[in-house]
Amino acid sequence: MTNRNVLSGETENKLIPYEMVLNSIGSTRELVERILPKGEIESLKIGAKAIEQIVRTSVEKAKQGLPVIGHHFAFQREYLYCFDCVPICIEGTSYLLSALLPDGVERFYDVMLSWGHPFHTCTSQKGVMGMTLEDLFSFDAIITPTAPCDNTFASYPFFEYKDVPLVIPDIPYLHEEKSYEYYGEQLRLSLEKLGKIIGQEPDFEKMKKHIEIENQVNSVQLELLELRKAKPSPVENMFNAISAGVAVFASGTPEKLDFYEKYLEIAKKRYKKKQEYGKEERIRSIWPYMLIFFDLSLCEYLDREIGMSVLFDIFNYNFSNTVNTKGDLDTLFFDMARRGMNFPMMKESTEFYYPFIENCVQLAKDFSADCFVFTSHLGCKQFGSVPQVLREALREEVGIPMLIIDLDVGDKRFTSTKIIKDKINMFSKTVL
Amino acid sequence: MQLRDDPFLSIANKIPNKYIENNKRNIVGYYCTYIPEELLEAADLIPFRIRATGNEDTNKADTYMVRFTCSFVRSTLNLALDGVYDFLDGLFVCNSCDHSRRMFEIFDMVVFKREGFNKNVPRFYIAIPHILTEEGYQWFYGEISELKNNLEKVYNVKISDDKLNDTIKLYNRNRKLMREIYELRNLNHPKLTGTEALQLAIANSSVPKEIANRELERLLGIFREREGLNIDDKKRILLIGSVVDNAKFTELVESSGAIIVSDNLCFGKKTIMEDIDSNSSKSPLERIAKRLYYRNPSCPRSMDDHKRRLEFVKNQIKIANVDGVLLQRITNCDLHGCDNMLFEHELKELDVPVFNIDRENFQSDYTRFQTRIEAFLEMIR
Repeated sequence: MTNRNVLSGETENKLIPYEMVLNSIGSTRELVERILPKGEIESLKIGAKAIEQIVRTSVEKAKQGLPVIGHHFAFQREYLYCFDCVPICIEGTSYLLSALLPDGVERFYDVMLSWGHPFHTCTSQKGVMGMTLEDLFSFDAIITPTAPCDNTFASYPFFEYKDVPLVIPDIPYLHEEKSYEYYGEQLRLSLEKLGKIIGQEPDFEKMKKHIEIENQVNSVQLELLELRKAKPSPVENMFNAISAGVAVFASGTPEKLDFYEKYLEIAKKRYKKKQEYGKEERIRSIWPYMLIFFDLSLCEYLDREIGMSVLFDIFNYNFSNTVNTKGDLDTLFFDMARRGMNFPMMKESTEFYYPFIENCVQLAKDFSADCFVFTSHLGCKQFGSVPQVLREALREEVGIPMLIIDLDVGDKRFTSTKIIKDKINMFSKTVL
Repeated sequence: MQLRDDPFLSIANKIPNKYIENNKRNIVGYYCTYIPEELLEAADLIPFRIRATGNEDTNKADTYMVRFTCSFVRSTLNLALDGVYDFLDGLFVCNSCDHSRRMFEIFDMVVFKREGFNKNVPRFYIAIPHILTEEGYQWFYGEISELKNNLEKVYNVKISDDKLNDTIKLYNRNRKLMREIYELRNLNHPKLTGTEALQLAIANSSVPKEIANRELERLLGIFREREGLNIDDKKRILLIGSVVDNAKFTELVESSGAIIVSDNLCFGKKTIMEDIDSNSSKSPLERIAKRLYYRNPSCPRSMDDHKRRLEFVKNQIKIANVDGVLLQRITNCDLHGCDNMLFEHELKELDVPVFNIDRENFQSDYTRFQTRIEAFLEMIR
């Protein structure tokens, strides 16, 4: 094991924000466990526990001197388990702290704004960039694919400017067989390069075990998705937000599998009893893009005040393939590439709009949706020209409306929770 | 003698022009300078770089593009929805940025489906890697090869190596002429303004290249003969950043007390600095692909190439004897916004004044913008 810390004998705390995550998720978990009666926001209880366990382990491993590897959420964390390392998701950390800290992470956005980072560039990176500028994070290396958006290839060179080695597997913006071959090769070369930077040989056998966990998670996720076709939906709105967090923070770990299995049991029980969560389900909505992260209470507000089920958001309907771990390395990396390119947001970003629109229309029918809510996030220019064409397709082919809300999913100052609630409230009255 | 009203330079002030209106060849629009123009030319097409010159509002396009998108691309869409681009016989898009790449779908689903528009306009897309590697080059070459085959099928033409070699000569000549003219900007008394340089680049991308070459030769003679500009009270500026397709913008800068002596712009030096190797034993298509892929200076979409872009900027500061650097981006352009952010910090070591500003494609608050430029220029000793 060789990394900057061990070689220099430094004992610096390389991931202070992760300790912030640990403290805040720990107290959140304790609060909800102690205060909430059984059956209330179960996803938050078990999700917080899973994230807390993973983050605690990460903090301990970093203290032992394992290299800290930053990664884009679109680079599957389980692939990094070919190393003994501490994977840190850049975007996940910004937004989980945005959700958990009482004052959010706007302070770190402002640090970067003052440094010259454009106001319109994605806050998912801006948060951790600001933390890095303030020396709260110290990465041994960062790995990011060249997708899903301009923000990725625009913002990440900042880390290189801060002397963090950057490894970049290139993703083609085209979905064909040759794309998976190309990206598979990029993944392999990048992991080898990363290994050289941190002084480790990639252990692909070890990585396979973590990929196999993800394969198991996949089937549970599909089962959970299927349950949501039921009326009322047996899945609470908060599940969408928490599962996005667990997916990012605990990918490839038994904790993630445990989270989904436990929640599946809860959902099955509700399904059998035709039990709904919160208020009577009056509106079934699909959020083809993201929920907001700066205020997760919106999920409960929709469940309890409006009776609006969020059947799923982008991180909860769109499950990529499983990976064949029994074949040769070429097959393995081909499948890993296919999985990566079909990951939520990556799929939509690296191909044309047509399948996205077709999928949305089909999902609306399959899940008996009454409406769509599209959160048009300031950072996501790659989705900037889809809302209206999607709205027209839903109106013409399914006869349902779509609300578009301009916002920043990680910055409450851009569009406040109040405005978002007001808009949804007014919209819901037109749907009913 | 002011040349800004020269018939060739005036082509830059509007979209259609007599050279394409009276031409029997197919005219095809392309969104980005990473599209291989030489290949289109060899398919007997006239490449026309899509721009939004003169567009002042985006009422129609705003329906289809949210307000967080680039006002340049939104403006081009607005013009297309107004029918201004109905003359196109083909559309070429690549994944240059998130804003322009989506025009592939939007033109298909909205522009070409407009009531009363019955023309069949073929669309072509190429996926370009975001990093510079041998594997990336091989991918890019594959895309260009596939594009060649598609062009032959769709336009029923044969693109021979001889034809490609001819167009390489034509385009190399074009770039050489542009460079020769642009070098006259480096002089102590530049022979042309930044506005004239911009007009030249825009006009050059709007007409068949054989006409452009003839006009550039004529203008090179005029510029050479012309007396150097009196710039004693002006600051020599290097202009960097998002696409500029409107001479009013450079006029605004230059009327504030500056002369733009160099640039790193799409309608400018980004496309003319390197030629296609004509001595190599590689096939003409490979040579076209190689130049385009490894182009220097690159667009900030090339994620791992910032250092080379910085070197280019430093070199320009030196050879054009620059007094100050104006970094500009169109609001919502993340690529240039972040590249400019790094330049701003990196150029501090050179002790060259730098000003970083954002703007809209159509600058309606002219006075406020000019005041900011003037304040920057006053800071320069």
